[in-house]
Amino acid sequence: MKLWEGVVALPLIGTLDSARTQVVMESLLERIVETDSTIAIIDITGVPTVDTLVAQHLLKTVAAARLMGADCIVSGIRPQIAQTIVHLGLDLSEVTTKANLSEAVVVALDRTGFQITRRANRG
Amino acid sequence: MRALTPEPHALDSDEDVVRARHVIRALAVDAGLRLIDQTKLVTAVSELARNTVIHGGGGRMLAEVLENGTRTGVCVTFEDEGPGIPDLEMALSQGFTTGEGLGLGFGGARRLVHDFDVTSAPGEGTRVRIVTWR
Amino acid sequence: MLESGDRIPILKLGHLLLVTIQVDMHDRMALALQDDLTKKIVDTGARGVLIDISGLELVDSFIGRMLSDIAAMARVLDARTVVVGMRPAVAITLVELGLALPGVQTALTVERGMALLPAPGEFGGDARPEDEGPDA
Repeated sequence: MKLWEGVVALPLIGTLDSARTQVVMESLLERIVETDSTIAIIDITGVPTVDTLVAQHLLKTVAAARLMGADCIVSGIRPQIAQTIVHLGLDLSEVTTKANLSEAVVVALDRTGFQITRRANRG
Repeated sequence: MRALTPEPHALDSDEDVVRARHVIRALAVDAGLRLIDQTKLVTAVSELARNTVIHGGGGRMLAEVLENGTRTGVCVTFEDEGPGIPDLEMALSQGFTTGEGLGLGFGGARRLVHDFDVTSAPGEGTRVRIVTWR
Repeated sequence: MLESGDRIPILKLGHLLLVTIQVDMHDRMALALQDDLTKKIVDTGARGVLIDISGLELVDSFIGRMLSDIAAMARVLDARTVVVGMRPAVAITLVELGLALPGVQTALTVERGMALLPAPGEFGGDARPEDEGPDA
């Protein structure tokens, strides 16, 4: 879904299998082009575990987005998934990760030149 | 353009490499391959066709759609009577190098398709067969 | 020898050179493009090169290397190169191939690419923060 100019978000929910992940990731890349978004937030808060294939698809998608000229922020990585990634020896140095979706949104806002200010009167 | 026996397509020039891409793209579309699989296959074909022209001294490509009961796939074979690949193991394991050499594109092409078979030896030419299934 | 009809046109856009690569580019055309671009950078004093590959359905190792070589040659001539419009299927394939396009900066569109190539004398150029690509 498009969040605002230049940013799309992809909340993933449930257990992912390799085939579904591939299709979803490819759609994300198409969305990036369609919406002219330089930032894509992939939120996996709702994903309990990932296996090797899914993790690899995720990383390949991030690399592909980068090649196209967009950055991905992966948010909501659960401890179990963090462990899987480390055990698999996957290199996340090129990927920005944030603990949760709101932190990712803040980063995306900042990178696209926006900031949130509170209105003077909230009544 | 789907013959029962695959027709050979000459691979002797730069233009032949471009033609090969078109032939396989059309076949892949016919066979119902997804766009990303089409692209990977045609990219592999581009690499292997170029190898045939440059390193094999020219040769041919044969392409066909395979239907093996449950699966549909595109099968492409590259043949040449060139000098052959001296160190097949190394050529297959190599990724890309910045210099010349058969490793360029060869190992990479393998990653883009499902089945990859190569037969080659010095003085015996080279034959590469690749398949991408739907 | 390549006939003139076979050469890819290079447009001058202010301080930039714009190349739109159509499909069906064979290897000799790619080499001719490298030559032509290098000459044109010198002739025009261009400081930026924009290569639009939105029409390319595939980028293989040869074309990938051409893009990297163009970026490297341009850099030697004090010009920056941005490649724009890479299709998702092409990007995924390049990742699978393990081709990283070293030295090549990318952007989603010509517009975003131009924002990455400010005219000389403009510090940072007209690039608004949201127009900056990941490598800016």
